[in-house]
Amino acid sequence: MIKRVLLFASAKETLGQDSVDLELAADATVADLRKQLVNDYPVLNDLVARSHIAVDQQFALDDMSLTDAREVALIPPVSGG
Amino acid sequence: MNNDRYSRQVRYPAIGDAGQEALGQSTALIVGCGALGSVIANTLARAGVGTLRIVDRDFLETSNLQRQMLYDEADVESNLPKAIVAAEKLRRINSSIVVEPHVVDVDAANIEALSKGVDVILDATDNFEIRFLINDVAVKHSIPWIYGGCLGADGQTMTILPNTSACLRCLMLEGPPLPGTMPTCDSAGILASIINVIGSIQANEAMKILSGNKQSISKSLTIVELWQNQFRQMDVSKLRDQVDCPTCKGRQFDWLDGRQGSHSAVLCGRNAVQLSPPERQPLDLEKLASSLESVGQVTRNRFLMKLAVDDFELTLFPDGRAIINGTEDVAVARKLYAQYVGN
Repeated sequence: MIKRVLLFASAKETLGQDSVDLELAADATVADLRKQLVNDYPVLNDLVARSHIAVDQQFALDDMSLTDAREVALIPPVSGG
Repeated sequence: MNNDRYSRQVRYPAIGDAGQEALGQSTALIVGCGALGSVIANTLARAGVGTLRIVDRDFLETSNLQRQMLYDEADVESNLPKAIVAAEKLRRINSSIVVEPHVVDVDAANIEALSKGVDVILDATDNFEIRFLINDVAVKHSIPWIYGGCLGADGQTMTILPNTSACLRCLMLEGPPLPGTMPTCDSAGILASIINVIGSIQANEAMKILSGNKQSISKSLTIVELWQNQFRQMDVSKLRDQVDCPTCKGRQFDWLDGRQGSHSAVLCGRNAVQLSPPERQPLDLEKLASSLESVGQVTRNRFLMKLAVDDFELTLFPDGRAIINGTEDVAVARKLYAQYVGN
């Protein structure tokens, strides 16, 4: 299945785009999505590990299935202030 | 209390007379009085929060004025610490509240004393290391706290009700990102507008907590991309039940107990390093000033001493802390400290 991942904060800045499309297995989980992201975009390596993944605007744990996910977002923490 | 002063706020139904009374009897701890802290302190002082305890380790620089809304050019000239300048300004804004400035670096040794008796803690810091320390003390003593962070035109905020909602560690089980792995205000820049948005949301959440409206607190991480006019929520209401959090379930306070943390920090957007000796030796600034006068240009006031030498500026505080301007290299900063102040 193809899943579009919305990018936020430094993830968006790093790739210069606000979303990416990933090819994932039909039973893929959030953990699989993290792996695929790093595989397709190695520059995101450090960022993906410490970012939150939101599925349908809910915090998603790594074992969550993405089969029924309508919207996936990669949300890096923001530190300054 | 002058009844007219808060009349527009009291008319807002969720506040009312009872809410205003509760605000007046509350104490808020604001950790950091830079950009977010300016907005939060200004808003809460005007709202009539009875006591504001303001903690900041730094002094003012011209590049702060673009986004740190409490300060002006004369304040930069004064060379006074931010907490002191902020307290003076807030007292002029509202003389009926108590403002307690503290010029210290918040760490594991002092955060419990600083947070004693407070009803809410507002995070206006610029790094996750200290947020994990705030999270520890907040969870340990059941004090609500409100995270806020901004970079570029992006910002995030989340309210933590200890032992009820997800804490920071529930959200980031692996702990803070390693120093140097996060973009800073130096690399990514920062707009004052996003600071005002996030600081206002934080102040608003604090007002809910302090006015008896805890049921209205956000159960989400709020994510703002101001340049794109995007406001989003990430629901974290189920998170606490889903993870085995060492802090809020295991009651393990790694940062508070000093198992995690460091004694130096590169200051966000400042081209500066702060050094805080683990065992604080108070500095006799008067004595130091006279011995360093031959080395470089020395200036001093009641709260700090500055030494300008070569391309560096060392600012020394009576508690033994130093901020070294002109480098982001901790080793260089340590060398300068050892050279001019001693080990």
